[in-house]
Amino acid sequence: MAAGFKTAEPLEYHRSFLKENCRPDGRDLSEFRATTLNIGSISTADGSALVKVGNTTVICGIKAELANPTVEAPGKGYIVPNVDLPPLCSSRFRPGPPGEQAQAASQFIADVIESSELIHTEDLCIERGKLCWVLYCDIMCLDYDGNLLDACVIALLGALKNTQLPEVTINTETSGPEVNLEKRHGLQIHKHPVGASFCVFDDSILIVDPTAEEECLSTAQLTVVTDEEGRLCSVHKPGGTSLSAEKLQEFICRATARQKEIQKLIDKVIHSVKTAQ
Amino acid sequence: MATVQVSEAEKVYILHGIRDDLRVDGRGCEDYRHTEIETDVVSNTDGSAKVTLGHTAVLVGIKADLGKPKPMLPKEGYLEFFVDCSANATPEFEGRGGEELGTELSNTLYKVFNNKHSVDLKSLCISPGEHCWVLYVDVLLLQCDGNLYDAISIAIKAALFSTKIPKVHISADEEGAKEIELSDDPYDCMRLNVENVPCIVTLCKVGHRHVVDATLQEKACSVASLIISVTQKGTVTCMRKVGGGSLDPESIFEMTEAGKRVGKALHAPLMDLLQQEERLGTKRQKVGFLG
Amino acid sequence: MPTDTKRVRGPEVSQSPLLFVSKPATALPSHGPRTDGRPRDQVDVRPVFVRCGLVSQAKGSAYIEAGNTKLMSCVYGPRETERKDETDMKCGRLTTDMRFAPFSCPERGSWIQGSQDKDLSLMLHESLQPAVCLHKYPRSQIEVNVMVLENSGSVLAHAVTCASLALADAGIEMYDLVLGCAVRQDGSSYVVDPTYKEENSCSSASSENQGGLTVAFLPSLNQISGLQSDGEMTEETLTAGVRTCIEGCYKIYPVIQQALAKAVRRAAPPPSES
Repeated sequence: MAAGFKTAEPLEYHRSFLKENCRPDGRDLSEFRATTLNIGSISTADGSALVKVGNTTVICGIKAELANPTVEAPGKGYIVPNVDLPPLCSSRFRPGPPGEQAQAASQFIADVIESSELIHTEDLCIERGKLCWVLYCDIMCLDYDGNLLDACVIALLGALKNTQLPEVTINTETSGPEVNLEKRHGLQIHKHPVGASFCVFDDSILIVDPTAEEECLSTAQLTVVTDEEGRLCSVHKPGGTSLSAEKLQEFICRATARQKEIQKLIDKVIHSVKTAQ
Repeated sequence: MATVQVSEAEKVYILHGIRDDLRVDGRGCEDYRHTEIETDVVSNTDGSAKVTLGHTAVLVGIKADLGKPKPMLPKEGYLEFFVDCSANATPEFEGRGGEELGTELSNTLYKVFNNKHSVDLKSLCISPGEHCWVLYVDVLLLQCDGNLYDAISIAIKAALFSTKIPKVHISADEEGAKEIELSDDPYDCMRLNVENVPCIVTLCKVGHRHVVDATLQEKACSVASLIISVTQKGTVTCMRKVGGGSLDPESIFEMTEAGKRVGKALHAPLMDLLQQEERLGTKRQKVGFLG
Repeated sequence: MPTDTKRVRGPEVSQSPLLFVSKPATALPSHGPRTDGRPRDQVDVRPVFVRCGLVSQAKGSAYIEAGNTKLMSCVYGPRETERKDETDMKCGRLTTDMRFAPFSCPERGSWIQGSQDKDLSLMLHESLQPAVCLHKYPRSQIEVNVMVLENSGSVLAHAVTCASLALADAGIEMYDLVLGCAVRQDGSSYVVDPTYKEENSCSSASSENQGGLTVAFLPSLNQISGLQSDGEMTEETLTAGVRTCIEGCYKIYPVIQQALAKAVRRAAPPPSES
């Protein structure tokens, strides 16, 4: 009976739950799904992290390569983030070049990296004007059940914290690079941006961490990214119904609280990985 | 792939024939159809060959180009394969229709040549890590009447045999900059040793037996085929099951054995023919496409 | 090279640091035990970890881990076929898509599907198709997606196993499971379920009789649904290799069966005694 109602009238189905201040999966309106993090599970990557937010699963692998810096910025390296939504993660995505959502997510991640100053691209320079690192941050969704952006940001942060770059020296005779894979060092992570996503239901009801179904039925979506000092890195609201200033303030408060939780989680996982070694 | 519709009665007829080692066109199970080979058919390539096998016709052109060796193999040149399924061969190939088959064929060719002995890749190197010859092997399907793999492999072997790569010399000037000079004499060229270039044999499982060089009708009666590429010494460089069905292990062993036998026997007459044609030199009568 | 406007682009050229390693990589020994401690010339497959039903959005899914090789497979469908022009509507269509995550290999791969991925997708298709009862799904298509998260050798073999498990998890009618196994011949000795290093090391000593072989096998019907080899091998070696692969498939068969039984039990718990 309930299953039939859900398929025939999904909006009514959700409304009847929201009226009682809860959601079909038993969560409170302002409750995040259980978030788990697994760091460094891909040995072929220089750094990796797998994040699960409820059912949503995202993996990020970082590969470092060597390149010449641009003429405009001779002292800087590159960070190249890309988000992929393969047909594997949900039936809504088709094979082929990235769709609109994947492109928007890639751009969002690139903006977060840029505005949060998570990593200084100067740190990636090996020799000014000659050689620098390129960090390819490839983020892939393995199970799409809503709230992709939050999961992507956590995965990226976890993978960057896990990244170990090999030592590179410039050979004075051949002036070519020499790589020592045994000697590796970590990256300096300056800020810890974490995102929190919200959905607006029927222009008034606000829920956090939406599932794929809730995202489809909602009238507006919003993602707020803050760092550990409570600074706002990014507010992403692609269209939808308008929001009042008070509501936005409320979201930002919730986002800063979320940032603290996630940073604690990341620190805990990294600590447990270190002690295990 | 080009396919034909075969009725149930026809299928039974073909199956019974094959059971008694007599095929519709009078061949035995391990016989090839009439084959014609002509080399040097396209003048603006470095080597070319046209092969007709029954009604299947393929043209292979080889162009040698200067390239950079692959970073992992700095001392070797390499081969690139491209198979073009012309809409001439069958209307199904129109537009992008032939693309899938083309990639399948070229990927298999990469596998067939993925070993150290088929072509001496070291001889294609000019200066390690900097310059090498890249042989672009372009296959054009002109007509499809079954057994594409075998026809293509024979044509590639013939084309490689006829390939003439110009000799080059490397000279370094005072500053150490290297320069590549092409030999002035057009007859001063390098030939490839094609002794170890494998030939592909496709075996089609029809009923309880298997046939070599299946026609389209016979192919329609078979569940799966096995392609085996064999060198003149009898080494197998690639084996692959194609088609929608499965095979039991015993018949795979039987087919491998037969494939090796047939493939090995293919090389000697082929090399003889190619050398005969070469000896004729300019006296050779050109047949061309309409012959 | 066409520029990719739909992704964030990096510099025009970048090179893997592996190309500049000062010390040349040590060649793997061609005798004695293997680097992961397994013996040579014995049917010793890496222990596999398998789980079904991990992806909430898919009809069926499976994850397999063998050594460091990690891959997952999702099955969607049966749903209405996309290609209406197909003449044969009596049978369903099976589509396969296999790809590598860019970080799955020692050298970074591209996002764009290369010819290797297409070839593997085709091999996967040919290996799975004989096992699926496609005549039960007229006018529909079943999609199989495989993603390689980490490539540590024998990818195709494990992809076949994983995909057939996902198909079974999705409740698609099949004649049998499909299991995959690979061997690598290196001179006179062979290694079963090779790692990435073993697959790509070319020991210079003996170049005769060297190559790889992957077999897809239907265990209860005793049929081979997929077979692929490259390199140079004699006929006897190949025949022996096929037999070894079949033996290897039987080794992982119970593990796969258990995983499937566990998934079924979870989906439909047995009625309680009371």
